[in-house]
Amino acid sequence: MPLVDIDLIIGGPQGGGIDSAAQIVIRAFSIAGYEAYGIREYYSNIKGRHSYFHVRVKDSPVRSLRYPVDLLVCLDYESPFVHMEDVSEKTKVLYDEDLVNTKIEQVLTMEPETKKHIIEKLRQSGFETTLAGAVNYMKKKGATPYPVSFRNLVVAALGPSKPPARYANTLGASLAMALMGLPSEFTSRGIESVFGKKKEVLEDNEKIVKSGYDFVRTHNSVNVNELPVRPAKEKYILTGNEAIGIGKVIGGLKLQTYYPITPAADESFFLEGHDYFEPVMGEDIDVENEVLKNMGVVVVQAEDEIAAIAMAISGAMTGTRTATGTSGPGFSLMAEALGYAGINEVPVVVTLYQRGGPSTGLPTRNSQADLMFAINAGHGEFPKIVYSSGDVPEAIDDAVRVFNYAEKFQVPVIHILDKNFANSFFLVDDLDYSKIKIERWKMGENSENFERFKLTEDGISPMGMFGKNIIWLTGDEHSELGHITEDPETRDAMMVKRMTKLETILKEIPEEEQVEFIGDKKADVTLLSWGSNKGVILSVFDKLRAEGVKANLVYVKLMNPFPAELVKRYLSTSKTIIDLENNYTGQLATLVRQNCLIEIDNFILKYNGRHTTDDEVYEGIKRILEKKENKVVMVRGA
Amino acid sequence: MSELNKKPEDFAIFSGIGCSAKTPHYINAPGMHTLHGRVIPFASGVKLANPNLTVIADGGDGDLLSIGAGHFVAAGRRNVDMTIIIHNNGVYGLTKGQASPTLPRGEKTKGLQRPNIFDSLNPVALALSVGYTFVARAFSFDVKNTKEIIMKAVKHRGTSVIDMLQPCPTYNDVNTKEWYEKRIYYLDKDPTWDPVVKVASSEESEKKYLQAIQKSLEWGDKIPLGVLYQNDLVPSFGDRISDHISNYFEVPPSESPIVNSEGDPIARMEKIFGDRLIRR
Ligand SMILES: Cc1ncc(C[n+]2csc(CCOP(=O)(O)OP(=O)(O)O)c2C)c(N)n1
Ligand code: SF4
Ligand SMILES: [Mg+2]
Repeated sequence: MPLVDIDLIIGGPQGGGIDSAAQIVIRAFSIAGYEAYGIREYYSNIKGRHSYFHVRVKDSPVRSLRYPVDLLVCLDYESPFVHMEDVSEKTKVLYDEDLVNTKIEQVLTMEPETKKHIIEKLRQSGFETTLAGAVNYMKKKGATPYPVSFRNLVVAALGPSKPPARYANTLGASLAMALMGLPSEFTSRGIESVFGKKKEVLEDNEKIVKSGYDFVRTHNSVNVNELPVRPAKEKYILTGNEAIGIGKVIGGLKLQTYYPITPAADESFFLEGHDYFEPVMGEDIDVENEVLKNMGVVVVQAEDEIAAIAMAISGAMTGTRTATGTSGPGFSLMAEALGYAGINEVPVVVTLYQRGGPSTGLPTRNSQADLMFAINAGHGEFPKIVYSSGDVPEAIDDAVRVFNYAEKFQVPVIHILDKNFANSFFLVDDLDYSKIKIERWKMGENSENFERFKLTEDGISPMGMFGKNIIWLTGDEHSELGHITEDPETRDAMMVKRMTKLETILKEIPEEEQVEFIGDKKADVTLLSWGSNKGVILSVFDKLRAEGVKANLVYVKLMNPFPAELVKRYLSTSKTIIDLENNYTGQLATLVRQNCLIEIDNFILKYNGRHTTDDEVYEGIKRILEKKENKVVMVRGA
Repeated sequence: MSELNKKPEDFAIFSGIGCSAKTPHYINAPGMHTLHGRVIPFASGVKLANPNLTVIADGGDGDLLSIGAGHFVAAGRRNVDMTIIIHNNGVYGLTKGQASPTLPRGEKTKGLQRPNIFDSLNPVALALSVGYTFVARAFSFDVKNTKEIIMKAVKHRGTSVIDMLQPCPTYNDVNTKEWYEKRIYYLDKDPTWDPVVKVASSEESEKKYLQAIQKSLEWGDKIPLGVLYQNDLVPSFGDRISDHISNYFEVPPSESPIVNSEGDPIARMEKIFGDRLIRR
């Protein structure tokens, strides 16, 4: 058992500093030598609606979250109501005592449906429908309330002239950290790491930290053990969006086009902030060469997603590593152009961040429901790669890989991700650059009649590009030169050439890049999954193993062309197979049935848009193994 | 091409989908026959990645002003250095003669069952109002003049638009060659006509703009041809990029190395993303 393993939720209004509060917690613990991981949950709204951060701090690597939480930090009047179910006897509930008389009707930001559900619960348990009632509800579940007057503490620390609401995040974080037992110096350093070294800010925050820690010290209603400080290593704090941006830049991205959409736009926004940098050119290249001292990445906000992918496709045909990023609604608009990239064998990368659909659906919530759509997007038949990543360290490598795949095989690649991944925070080490390989197309010898679409055994023609060769591209069926033709024999030959790439891809991508097989060689239960649930599943495996249950995970990354033989082999290592995904129909299981002729009978699914947690996965596996249920729907999350 | 002193590889010719879209396949220069309505973003992408190429985008009036109208508007705001030719024939040629956005209401061309019940839009006025920095009109049967206008458009640094009046003998029996020949006249025959903005954001530039708008409204008995507006003082999109990425033209995206002499990536975490490092 780890000595330190703490889950906490910090809840408050969108735009009210929740993000910085969570950043303070993660950075402070990292500086003190701990590992941390978190996910941000928020409404499709700019300011005011309830948002929260779920963070876990541990003394060993962490990449999943659990309910009930150990600490609930309520920075607004909505948090105690909506997180009422997230607590147990181990939970400390920190809340603003000045708000206890708030009636649920007065919580203007709360949606009527949510209100109704909470009112029902409070009434059924015989509690008032006030904030005090919600606290009592949690008390009945065994939680320890920890009332604090935020206003009094801020006024005592900074005087009456400073608005208490502005300091709610640093005060909340300080109180939380004091309650968790982190020495205050690390909280101060965490705050400095988030807000920088501006003198006035630092001084104010220092006073806030002190008042938070003093309060906890003098109000000893809960037991606090000071945490030991551990040997620390400098780490990067990265979200999924940032990891993809970093992987792309390291992989050689030079042109990124996008139209803003949640949860994809943060990546492009991040790139815009890091688009001009000093390269490491190596010994042989003249460092005095002024013009190579800095390198740029051109990031362009297009007028819509159709333009974004059109620009990316043609940009890629100049030999530039080009990508575009989007989410379901934008990806829908890209379908026609994807086929164009397919028939013209264009090495373009589309980063697809899934969110709740259909239509606008749940714009800021998680989903894995676009797998089938990604595989089938675009009319007609053409080769494309659909490749999945699930966590930050993996995603950095994969963002380089997908460029390599696109160029080596000259196909469009859809890099499929999800919102949970995009909005998760990881702590990672610097990269091992010697392990990062960049592989590109084979160029053709330039000649008068350059055959951009030369027929070959493996389907891959020598690459030709604008600015270097005289080539023609057309969305029509074409000859080896790229001119329009409807000749039936040429059509047949071109279809075979293009579709042969699917076999070439399966042959050439190393097995371990296609599917990861993790866990016991022979097991009692096999989980079949993809994307951001990897960390949760592996974390639950530790618990199962401690109970003597052997488990393994078939974690599929290459979704198209589907590695059927490999998946078949891995799925034969246990009798019970459970498909776990964030969608309604079990799309990966459908792919397995279609490609491997294996029927998957057991499902753990989630489609309410909230992050998957250890406890519900554990419960799901147990219900399937012990109670012989076939389908468990996970419903946690506010 | 040779008059511009360029090799075929220095060009990239784009087209949308329509009768006019076969153009790239008839030119011995790199070409891209793209999607219906999307010629502008495809053409822009190549230029962004390799600003050293000379880019020309051909589209039908349906292509550029109906399905691709959003891109047409956006391109005016970007001012990417390229030339857009609107092959304006009043109809959707390739799909058998439906009314295009430039066909006036009440006209009944051969391909229509009844007179057109849509109002037409004015491509020149539209182009002017969304910020194009070079706007001209030409008549395809006057090859010499058309060539001159194309040359001027290509030389302009910024997006040039040419409204190319182009009869469609198959489906448009209203706006025929003869119909146009009776009406067209050349603006540059008038020695006082000067469409070029010479001083930035001055009274003069507003005057040039208004004079062009006024000319754009002339349609009927008299149809003006030639350059209606030209403003070389607006920075091209590439110039705007190079304000921030100063070696953008010298080392454009397509020419940037991505691995160093040891074969390792030239981009490094600590050099670029150091702001995400939790420092102690
Ligand atoms: C998305 C899409 N919708 C419809 C079509 C069918 N289509 C082909 S060409 C065309 C209209 C062409 O008209 P215009 O752009 O004026 O070109 P013209 O043929 O007159 O030169 C249409 C509607 C298509 N190719 N793609
Ligand atoms: S005449 Fe009309 S229909 Fe025929 S190719 Fe020309 S534009 Fe198309
Ligand atoms: Mg037309």
